[in-house]
Amino acid sequence: MRLLGRIGALLLLSLLCEAEQFAEDLTLRPLRDGKLAASFSFTTLLENATPRHPGSLEYDDDSQHYALFPLALGQVLREFAVTELHLTLNAGKWDYDRWGYPDEPGVGTGAELWAWMGDSAFISVDQRWKGLRNALAGLFCASLGSLDEQRTTSPILSFQPEGSLPNWTTPHQLRHATLPSEHVCTENLTPFLKLLPCKSRSGIATLLNPHKLFDADWHGMGVHVRYRQDIGVEVRLAFQAVIDPVRYSPERRREVSQILTCIYPDWSFLSIFDRVIERACPVADTSIIRVKLPTEASYAMTPTPTSIDADLATFLVDDAMKPLDIVMKWPGESAFSYPPRSMTRPLTHLSVRRALHGSNQYSAQLFISVKNNSPVQVRTGYLETMPWLLQFYLHTMHAHIDGVPRDDLVTLLSYTAPVPHARPTLLQAVLTLPPESTLQLTLDVSKPFLRYTEHPPDAQRGWDLPPAIFVPFSFENISQEDWDPRNTAWTLLERPTRIYTPVLLVDPATPDFSMPYNVIILSCTLIALIFGSVFNYLTRTFVVVHVGEDSH
Amino acid sequence: MRTQSVALGYYIVAIALLLALSAVAGAQLAGPVEDFFAQHGGSASASAHTNNWAVLVCASRYWFNYRHMANALGMYRTVKRLGIPDSNIILMLADDAACNARNKFPGCVYANQGRHLDLYGDNIEVDYRGYEVTVENFLRVLTGRMDASVPRSKRLLTDDRSNVFVYMTGHGGNEFLKFQDNEEISAFDIADALEQMWQKRRYHEILFMVDTCQANTMFSKFYSPNVLATGSSELGESSYSHENDYDIGVAVIDKFTHYILQFMEGINKTSQASMQDLFNTYDYKKFESHAGVRADLFRRPLDRTLVTDFFGGVAQAEILPFPPDESGPERSPEPKGALGHDEHAVGVVSPARSSNFNDTVLSGDARALQQRQFDTLIAAAAVGHPDAWADATRKLRAWASTFLVLVLVGWVGMRGK
Repeated sequence: MRLLGRIGALLLLSLLCEAEQFAEDLTLRPLRDGKLAASFSFTTLLENATPRHPGSLEYDDDSQHYALFPLALGQVLREFAVTELHLTLNAGKWDYDRWGYPDEPGVGTGAELWAWMGDSAFISVDQRWKGLRNALAGLFCASLGSLDEQRTTSPILSFQPEGSLPNWTTPHQLRHATLPSEHVCTENLTPFLKLLPCKSRSGIATLLNPHKLFDADWHGMGVHVRYRQDIGVEVRLAFQAVIDPVRYSPERRREVSQILTCIYPDWSFLSIFDRVIERACPVADTSIIRVKLPTEASYAMTPTPTSIDADLATFLVDDAMKPLDIVMKWPGESAFSYPPRSMTRPLTHLSVRRALHGSNQYSAQLFISVKNNSPVQVRTGYLETMPWLLQFYLHTMHAHIDGVPRDDLVTLLSYTAPVPHARPTLLQAVLTLPPESTLQLTLDVSKPFLRYTEHPPDAQRGWDLPPAIFVPFSFENISQEDWDPRNTAWTLLERPTRIYTPVLLVDPATPDFSMPYNVIILSCTLIALIFGSVFNYLTRTFVVVHVGEDSH
Repeated sequence: MRTQSVALGYYIVAIALLLALSAVAGAQLAGPVEDFFAQHGGSASASAHTNNWAVLVCASRYWFNYRHMANALGMYRTVKRLGIPDSNIILMLADDAACNARNKFPGCVYANQGRHLDLYGDNIEVDYRGYEVTVENFLRVLTGRMDASVPRSKRLLTDDRSNVFVYMTGHGGNEFLKFQDNEEISAFDIADALEQMWQKRRYHEILFMVDTCQANTMFSKFYSPNVLATGSSELGESSYSHENDYDIGVAVIDKFTHYILQFMEGINKTSQASMQDLFNTYDYKKFESHAGVRADLFRRPLDRTLVTDFFGGVAQAEILPFPPDESGPERSPEPKGALGHDEHAVGVVSPARSSNFNDTVLSGDARALQQRQFDTLIAAAAVGHPDAWADATRKLRAWASTFLVLVLVGWVGMRGK
């Protein structure tokens, strides 16, 4: 019966000229410090579709008919003629040293929205950008409407399109904005799930339980739309989380392996998501769960996976399986203990830190420390999109390695100066990092006064500053004997991954918010006193009045 | 002179006769038609709204104002449960309590000690959150004057048949309410916004509920019609929180909202409870403050106004019952509560009273029967109602006024002679 239904659905879909495919997958990767990285990905491909040409914005659009492709998102994309769109809503700090590179590169805290749009003579890109972020704000219940020109930049060197841009006469432009103070909660997940064809009723999306996901050490959701040449328009809805199973497992069972670098907890779908997959999504072409297996320790996994590669167990979710609950246990006796930090190497090529020194209004300093963990020279792009309320003094930028000034390692590519109250700073540079060394950049900054109305309601908290982004793009070739095959971080990356620093908090001077009231009261009092005195002086005369019998 | 006055007299008589005739004719037709549309008897008490909207505002930020967010979320849950869809609810929360770093129960907001009911749930849409909850945005939502780029989910798209439930909670005082500890909205601002809504025909009736300190002052300045307002405390009084939860660590609900939500738990979509029933539960001993009601601008009597007129998304629908095989049309039992006593003999029932609603859905015979009943009803409305006390009084009144006019005519004529 269900097979007939699927065949019928497939036939119907094949009749449409734009066929749609939906694939979902989940990857579970145990991390070195005992946590579990879960990465959900729901991809809908609209075959043979192209993004809307911006020249056609003058006229009404053709009607779009979607079966699986999310209609709400599709309407937004066509309304503003967006070629590529990436929206991420993340909470927490991604620890690159302990967790390595994430599956989805956009892990900056808060909301990050960037889009490639083609030029149009009818409506400017900026107007469409405004409409786009407000439409997405309404769709995802996020405050994206405040990503106005005070937060928007165009950092094309770091944010190259992930798909292809159609070959139109007018060029494409990039708009990028971040809101680091954005909270992520169930109201963002609700519309996210409503964009899926099976929602959260069947398939892998049943595991998206907000009460457990938002308890994770790090979580982030992403909406990625891109155009693939000759294939179609693809929407990928992603959810990543770093979950701590030790908190949920009752016995806190761990096994400590010999080399003290790999420790794994017991976990199951019920313990980490509080849900199991009851049935498969009928419209999904493929529905796959992958679990990365540890190579050293012995484990017990139920149910039996469909196939096992070298270190990857694959489960195909279909209706033949009963409610699917993957359970991993390590039959060991010892309780959990974290590996000592000094004995473990960072998992990424670069370790980055950023700090704001100085508590003064005028003599603060931005401090960036980039550590090259690999044995080769690495060249990385460095991007800062700083709001105007932290103003750089670019001539004071100095680079040091172990106290030795090495300004030659920094090459400035572009710098767009900020316009107060209007435009943020855009700084793009290239840093050359010698092997196994730490480069320290210092830059003098100043914090200007904000206008009274520009302060947020909780002004004493300060402002969140967007993360700096490093894009390592060039690695020197290394000789065979230096290459450690056990450490996968040393494999050369095919495409540069973005590395985000944590967000900073800057504390500009806040005024006394009761001052307008004080000023009004004081000036009104003064005016009353002055006017009253002058008036009395001018018009009042004292007259002697006789009281008693001697009148007449 | 005399002829002139006589002619004038006859002229007046002619006009008076015309008026009297039209009154009689109107009285004959108005009766059954009005009763047909007035479901609960009497045109004055039926609500003519066709859709429901809710604007729920929590104007306080910070973790220690958890109870204000729980207030707003409790109302959100009630209003959703009673049928208003998310697209018709504008929820404004000034801070994030559920996913706050201080919240021991992530993704959950509770409103009682012991944490029995999670108000946040899995399916929630917050339209204005964080810094977007400002006085300006609130007034723009009410009046509808927004930038073109504001998305649909953030707009109050009401029309002149919409009943709007406006609920505000936070810290307040004498004729003001604080938004996020940063700005205030005054009672005059809200009164003017409601008047703008009235001028632009953006509401049919409004229920304005406010839970702050000195809340009754917030609606003291209203001057637009069809507004029913209620608040939690009088001028000079504070509104108090109800209970703390010892694991969350802060107060989780306010007294006024808690008791209203408790009343609402007994209400479902088909409830016939009236606003007077709700206001009768106000008790100084429970609230520790004098909760107030302002109904002078509200045209309908409170005991005929249903709670679901504001809190529920109930559409007016008439369900004709499956007729019995025995003799006579089925007469449904007189429902409880204060309802009109002109019962329709044709067996017209509302969904609340029909006990065999599920059974009437729908064989072909049942449908044909319903169609016939519908036709009979229309015919009855056209020719006149078989028996109705109100209709008889109307006729009597019409005839009496005609008689009076004739008497006057005669008197004028006699005097003229």
